[in-house]
Amino acid sequence: MNAIIVDKVSKRFRIPAKKKTTMFQYVVGFMKRQYNYEELWALKDVSFVLKRGETFGIIGKNGSGKTTLMKILAKVMYPDTGSVTVNGKVAAFLGLGVGFQPELSARDNVYLYSSILGIGRRVAREKYDAIFDFAELKQFENVRLKNFSSGMTMRLAFATAVHVELDTMLLDEVLAVGDEAFQKKCIDKINEFREQGKTIVFVSHNLQAVRNLCQRSMLLHNGRIVSLGDTEGVIKEYQALRS
Amino acid sequence: MWQYRELIINLTIVDLKKRYESNILGFVWQFLSPLLLAIVLYIVFKNLFAQEEFFAIKLLVGIMAWRFFSITTGACLASIVSKSALVTRVFIPRKILVFSTALSGLISSLFEFIILIPMIFVLLGPVPATIALYPLIHLLYFPLIYGIGLLLSALYVYVRDLNQIWPVFLQMLFFLCPIIYPLSIVPPWYMTYYMLNPLTRLILIYRDVMIVGKLPSIEDIAVVIGFTALALLLGNYVFGKLERRFAELI
Repeated sequence: MNAIIVDKVSKRFRIPAKKKTTMFQYVVGFMKRQYNYEELWALKDVSFVLKRGETFGIIGKNGSGKTTLMKILAKVMYPDTGSVTVNGKVAAFLGLGVGFQPELSARDNVYLYSSILGIGRRVAREKYDAIFDFAELKQFENVRLKNFSSGMTMRLAFATAVHVELDTMLLDEVLAVGDEAFQKKCIDKINEFREQGKTIVFVSHNLQAVRNLCQRSMLLHNGRIVSLGDTEGVIKEYQALRS
Repeated sequence: MWQYRELIINLTIVDLKKRYESNILGFVWQFLSPLLLAIVLYIVFKNLFAQEEFFAIKLLVGIMAWRFFSITTGACLASIVSKSALVTRVFIPRKILVFSTALSGLISSLFEFIILIPMIFVLLGPVPATIALYPLIHLLYFPLIYGIGLLLSALYVYVRDLNQIWPVFLQMLFFLCPIIYPLSIVPPWYMTYYMLNPLTRLILIYRDVMIVGKLPSIEDIAVVIGFTALALLLGNYVFGKLERRFAELI
């Protein structure tokens, strides 16, 4: 059973020579007949298939198209050509703590964030204690988020995120969170997901983590797949590309 | 949208909390500012329209009905751009952001109107029984605002000076509605067009129901429903078309 099928996906960004964002600029641009723009292919003919239960790594330099691909998988962006099929429910973590409100308490934020990730209040209430235990923030549950340190906020976000039980998880640079001990906790949690048979797409610059977690990986460069297959080989190619 | 009802409720609550918690007087201001505006306008215009019956309370009802439109469409306009993280980093139907903003506007407005009822009692004596219909009229008003909100929020992603243009448009519309002047001063040749404005109809309906004790006419309701249908169709269509590139443009 395939979890994700990506078929010849391309995404083009148009970068206008002069960016038009106001009515005034549209009118001026129309009168001067300014329509020239540069094209940038963030992704070009990307195809791959993931089986259910696979942990798949995506690596590449900054600007290689990793995040664009994740956004397309999460249905936040639409591809210009090609198609993406995702079976089952997807939890996308393209940034932790999306929608967190600094004015609200940690408790309210956990419920808000859960509902953004698509789980109901009943389920969230069941997981509530587990979330705060994992984040190690039990004594701060009534504190407003604006009084949290950024590390605490991220821990709370990650703890909420990992307690959402969906079939497929898209993880974009989630390990850039917390200290070493907390990072280890995160990796353990991701390993737990693997054992439960969840499909995981993992984007990271932490090559050691990619090596430990993923059976297969893909290397992107300028929006194209440079290599795809066994993680060890893909990482070697990436290192060759960098040097 | 039904499966996202919890998210809609949560976002609406967050919106309301932000609106009222951030300042000390909170909800008091919500009512005080239209009241002060009404008092100023009353002092200015009371000699001009002295013959008009219940001028003060009509002014107040008109301002309240107007505020529902102007404040909520303004809030909807920014609802996509100001919540950019929810657009670019997670998949939720984007209409939810507009809907929850409109919903919190509806709730605020309901409270404003509830406070209005004792004031009518003080100024007029017994309140007409038709006042019971007023929540229904609010529910008729809401989809019109939501439809316009969808249209504005989607356009604002592309055209960023819309937040300058819309208040000017609102200012014009304010004077095209019978809020600060009675309907009787509108020239007859212009009346047919004037009455095509759904906000004019709504303001008249509110006054009929809350002050005069008269049921709204079929014609009033028909104009409002017609414009509501148009706003919803156009709003949904434009939003659906423009939505695909939101994440790139925000």
